[in-house]
Amino acid sequence: MNDKPDRTRVTGEPPGAETVSAAAHDSRWQFDRRRFLEAAGFSLSLTAVTACTRRPVQHAMPLGEMPDSFAPGKLVSYAATCNGCPAGCGLLVGVRDGRPLKMEGMPEHPLSRGGLCAVGQALPIALYDRHRLDGPLRRGKPAQWESIDRAVLQELQAIRESGGAVRLVTGTRTSPTLAAIISAFLGQFKDGKHVVVDPVSCSSIRAAHHSTHGASRLPRYRFDRAAVIVSFGADFLGTWISPVEYAAAWRQQRIPTVEQPQMSYHAHFEPQLTVTGSKADRRYRVTPQDYTTILAHLAKRLGALPLPKNMPSLDSVGSFTAGDLKTLARRLQRAKGASLVVCDSQDLVAQQLVNAINEQLGNYGKTLELDRPSFQRQGEDAALADLLDELEEGVVAALLVADVDLLHDLPESSRIRKGLKKAQLVVSFADHLNETARVAHCVCPESHLLESWNDFHPVGGLVSLSQPTIRPLGKTRTLLECLARWSGSASDDRTLIRQHWEKAIRPRATDPGADPVAFWDNAVQLGFVEIEESPQPAGYSAPGQLELASVSRPDEGYTVLLYAKTGMPESRHAHNPWLQELPDPVTKVSWDNYVCMGPSTAEELGVGEGDIVELSVDDVKLELPVYVLPGQHDRVLGVALAYGCPGTERFAQVGPSWLEARPTVPNGRPVGRNAAPLLNWQGKSLQRVRHGVSVRKTGRRRPLAVTQLYHSLKLPESIAAYGAPDRSDIVQSTTLEAFRADPESGKPEVHVDANLDLWPPDHPKSGHAWGLLVDLNACTGCSACVIACQSENNIPVVGWDEVRRQREMYWMRIDRYMQGEDDDLDVRVQPVMCQHCDHAPCETVCPVLATVHSEEGLNQQAYNRCVGTRYCANNCPFKVRRFNWFNYRHDSDRENLALNPDVVVRTRGVMEKCSMCVQRIEAARVEAKKEGRAIAEGDVQVACQQSCPAQAIVFGDLNDPKSRISQLAKDPRQYRMLEEYGFQTNVGYRRIVRNREGGAESTGHHS
Amino acid sequence: MSHVDQELRPPLVLGDKSLGDITDDIAAPMAATPSTLWWVGFGIAFSALVLGVVAVSYQIAVGIGTWGLNRTVGWAFDITNFVFWVGIGHAGTLISAVLFLFRQKWRTAVNRSAEAMTIFAVMCAGIFPLIHMGRPWLFFWTLPYPNYRGPLWVNFKSPLLWDVFAISTYLLISAVFWYVGLIPDLATMRDRTQPGLKRSIFSFLSLGWNGSARTWHHYETVYMLLAGLATPLVFSVHTIVSMDFATAVIPGWHTTIFPPYFVAGAIFSGLAMVLTLMLIARKTMRLEDYITVSHVDRMCKLMLAMGCIVGLAYCTEFFIAAYSGNAYEQFLFRNRALGPFSWAFLTMFSCNVIIPQVLWFRAVRRNLFAVFAVAIVVNIGMWFERFVIIVTSLHRDFLPSSWSYYIPTSIEVATLIGSFGLFFTCFLLFCRVAPAIAMAEVKGVAQVKKPESLRIPQPEEAVA
Repeated sequence: MNDKPDRTRVTGEPPGAETVSAAAHDSRWQFDRRRFLEAAGFSLSLTAVTACTRRPVQHAMPLGEMPDSFAPGKLVSYAATCNGCPAGCGLLVGVRDGRPLKMEGMPEHPLSRGGLCAVGQALPIALYDRHRLDGPLRRGKPAQWESIDRAVLQELQAIRESGGAVRLVTGTRTSPTLAAIISAFLGQFKDGKHVVVDPVSCSSIRAAHHSTHGASRLPRYRFDRAAVIVSFGADFLGTWISPVEYAAAWRQQRIPTVEQPQMSYHAHFEPQLTVTGSKADRRYRVTPQDYTTILAHLAKRLGALPLPKNMPSLDSVGSFTAGDLKTLARRLQRAKGASLVVCDSQDLVAQQLVNAINEQLGNYGKTLELDRPSFQRQGEDAALADLLDELEEGVVAALLVADVDLLHDLPESSRIRKGLKKAQLVVSFADHLNETARVAHCVCPESHLLESWNDFHPVGGLVSLSQPTIRPLGKTRTLLECLARWSGSASDDRTLIRQHWEKAIRPRATDPGADPVAFWDNAVQLGFVEIEESPQPAGYSAPGQLELASVSRPDEGYTVLLYAKTGMPESRHAHNPWLQELPDPVTKVSWDNYVCMGPSTAEELGVGEGDIVELSVDDVKLELPVYVLPGQHDRVLGVALAYGCPGTERFAQVGPSWLEARPTVPNGRPVGRNAAPLLNWQGKSLQRVRHGVSVRKTGRRRPLAVTQLYHSLKLPESIAAYGAPDRSDIVQSTTLEAFRADPESGKPEVHVDANLDLWPPDHPKSGHAWGLLVDLNACTGCSACVIACQSENNIPVVGWDEVRRQREMYWMRIDRYMQGEDDDLDVRVQPVMCQHCDHAPCETVCPVLATVHSEEGLNQQAYNRCVGTRYCANNCPFKVRRFNWFNYRHDSDRENLALNPDVVVRTRGVMEKCSMCVQRIEAARVEAKKEGRAIAEGDVQVACQQSCPAQAIVFGDLNDPKSRISQLAKDPRQYRMLEEYGFQTNVGYRRIVRNREGGAESTGHHS
Repeated sequence: MSHVDQELRPPLVLGDKSLGDITDDIAAPMAATPSTLWWVGFGIAFSALVLGVVAVSYQIAVGIGTWGLNRTVGWAFDITNFVFWVGIGHAGTLISAVLFLFRQKWRTAVNRSAEAMTIFAVMCAGIFPLIHMGRPWLFFWTLPYPNYRGPLWVNFKSPLLWDVFAISTYLLISAVFWYVGLIPDLATMRDRTQPGLKRSIFSFLSLGWNGSARTWHHYETVYMLLAGLATPLVFSVHTIVSMDFATAVIPGWHTTIFPPYFVAGAIFSGLAMVLTLMLIARKTMRLEDYITVSHVDRMCKLMLAMGCIVGLAYCTEFFIAAYSGNAYEQFLFRNRALGPFSWAFLTMFSCNVIIPQVLWFRAVRRNLFAVFAVAIVVNIGMWFERFVIIVTSLHRDFLPSSWSYYIPTSIEVATLIGSFGLFFTCFLLFCRVAPAIAMAEVKGVAQVKKPESLRIPQPEEAVA
């Protein structure tokens, strides 16, 4: 990290980690001489940085001499690994004065390559959550760890003696140390099993590989190597398995240049619009059942497999024709070894077909790695089914549950509840009182990621570490530590991980080094280690005659697709206000879940946005508001999982309260409704697709908090002016073919007079000239930047009612436009932040000069001077200015710890907006000045740019001819919004290029 | 005034009054205890004022969020009310100053109340720029005063700052003009009042008026000069108010037609308000002999002329949008007429352009109920004109992603009601403490038999 002088990374461990574990265990520490010396030496090595600790200071004494590595107020970055989902992206935790504040992507990380999704960005607000359990509970009452340990050990001892079954349920945890401890823990019992449950599992992919390759594995998908991508419902840029990794990889083949006008071809089949579907070159609207049919015909055409028995013809598939099949097959065949077919279907046959196709195309070993597989989803539906049966039978004596909320995330909760009652011991590791925790005998809340040591093994060949950056705010422990204690090893998690790494990781490391201490220090500092794992070869054997599962598909009713939302992948994030308020990238709805349905379906049912409908199937009933989403299959409805979580009633209090305010959640109900009861078991597979659902209009309404009310670049037909039916100039788009012919294709025919000005420039910008450039072709709309900006700039959460009133406070937003017909939907996304116009309309109209132009081209807002006339916001052509309508409440003093001290918290009555992270520019200026130089390229990364998984945003000095942004500004794809108006914005965009035939596109029609 | 004129034109004061009768008629209501009708009116007006005070206090205590504004529509009721009230004020100055300079003698019946109306309307108007600020307690930052912050000046490029100057100048000149016109009448009141506090006050305010030819001469000179000073304000104030919009880049605001359009609209709305008040005052204060049907007729003609100018301006805007070739502007105007706020546009257009056309008919102009109805309709229409200009332009501008709608909250409605409360409370109190009709001026135009020695100098003579 020598090239980043503003973000020093400190070698070794952060302050506090060591004292924490010592404090928590001093009764158990048996100090022999060796241990004592070890501990003493270790402590001594940390004294230089201990001043960062939030330890209670009894006697304040000024530092006579400032320790070298410590500067108050300076942001220090520590390497860590994200556990927001099992993907295992690399994190840099920004810590200031002992407080972890800002999550950033780790640029060196082999998977995430500097990207980080919204969930990862939102970790700090969860850390400082006042409602997080701060100590263990026994029978619902706060207890001491000693008594919990005593009780649990006593029960376990009894079970061990009686030979009862012990089941540990977790989500996918890739930790190698935890795996070792789990096997040690379960090894104590005659019948101990670890059951992995993924809320959205990839069980069928693993099962298919078991049948075709003899190994129950999840391949590592390499989208960076794929020239042709065909995805069947796999939202790999949004929610599927490891979206940041995939987006970073996918991007590499998606940027055509004048020199190399090449890009990958991406076809997408899905019933409901997703982030990935919106970026595809060709999107087909099909039902999840259609995947199998299309795959079977594709496999036959490619010669991979004969058509399975009783396979319906392709005519049954809506928009995908035989001609399309031919073209697609030809494209795939031309890209043998560089193509990739992925599928999110839970139908085993579909997955087997996918494997056969990928095998036939020679993709294994190239775009799919099965010998160095992914461990990012380990859930097996069959194991879960067995567990539930065992619970029902009363076989399970002890059930330990982490990550998942069995009673909330799974269907048939009453059956599970009965089963739980039969267990002798139920332990929950939930950090909030979820439904399972409410019935558990003991709740042992886990420490937050940033409070604990963790290790990860997300894909073959890569292990990563995560160090704590703050001592636990409550009396919490990790799962690792609990299990270790309950298996008789009284070590803290750092020791356990370090021991395991010394024993099992270092010997396999690519660069083990001579010194174990140096190896460990390096690993902690860098955050990850590459290891050599002997490839586990898995040969292909064609599956026998495939047969369609005889799934009863009633013709009546609708099919409901239960999906994970981009910002809310798992119910354990339900207490995160940033994620709850984040507008969904596709629907732009914040708070709440809803039923997505196509416009024609809505018309058929006579409902519109916000109308509550009742979904019912068998004995399950669910009432949810409607959201009308173009591009949705007419017979498929979509409902997001992970809503309706107990405890989220707390959000009733979020947002301002005044005369006409309405609470975010009505009368003590949680945010959204739990859709898990609609999940259903088909044999031993937990299906996320439910057929035969009937829909009934209730006549009630729940308005949705939508941040974008008009969804198209096409103007309303009844109003559109003649000759100008759309505004496609705002988000410009072209096709690859047109781009090859003319790199400037897609440029609107608008006369832009370069010599528009009557006067010489009043902002000469002799020094730096800051600018942003957003590549709309790379941007997926995933909204990671929105949370990054929220975290960096102390943007308040305003609640459902305020969002509904179009008063969200985001400084940057993702505009999403959908035009065209359902089968031919053109979706364009565009991140919009302050455009920093050189001729800023906001600046001239402020009566008190509260918004002025800097010498470096920034449009600055002086909060202290603002009197709040809102004239600037009215006059902003991009409507990026946000007004503080109220003093926004922060949940608690503890939550305020997540505030960035470099950025002022705005009071009510003042205007605010994107500052282009001026605090980061100033920090870099200070550093550069100390070194007696100007700010150089790469010294400053703005928050949105830093963690963009697709690296779509470039920030830099437009006056520096060598800077990347200056180079890119010459790109023929570059354009500025509303350029003909002469605003002279310093934020530019690069046109979308779709890999399609045909000319440059106007909205809504192509081919 | 020539003898021939008197024969040809209908008299401006009916009832064959002597000068003493005029004084008695006009000054009597002030001495008598207020009528029940006055109390009812005052009760309603004051309740509305209290409601407004409560709403504004709540808004200042809690935040602008108590209004229905959003990220896209940053102004709505607040600036609509502001422009509406400033417009109302215009008729006062027009009647007092411009008509004075044009020797329109019929103005004497209405000029006092029109001037009072101007002041109260500008007071109401002035409240809105203040309370629409996010931090109204810092309003003084909009004034250029010497300071130690740099010194930190205001932004002279901002039309809002021009507004500050325009409105404060207007309020000042209007108040002075009104007061100067009041002096002879205050002296009359002084002379009619028994010794005591009331008389001391009138005595003080009448600045030692003695009714001598010399005093009259000075008075007429000052009045003439002030009229000359106030006349440009009729045009400048609303021109500057229109620049709040015209200098912006938002389609629908960025229009060069705005200054004349706004001035015409302001006079139009002001006349409608004067008519409304006049007709009420005429009835309730039994001033039928002073505010005659022919006064109303003339006012209606003026209103019709202004209404037609306003209608022309509306049509010109649409033509220019179509002619300009600017797609954003074309869309804006189509959206204004056909979009979600078309109801507001239709209200505006029918109230301001279509309905006032009935005033072409003399029978309508002389039917006081019909005139009253038209005046009310124009008041409503002109409020909607400002609402349409502000809200429809903002709610759908350049980027469709930011398009929005606007629904007022109860606080905003209460604030609007409160501003009417303030206006009428002030007006009703004014009727009780000062002559609602300029006695001295009315006497000048009344055809009374009077000794040559007592003749009040006519304005022409004063100039000569």
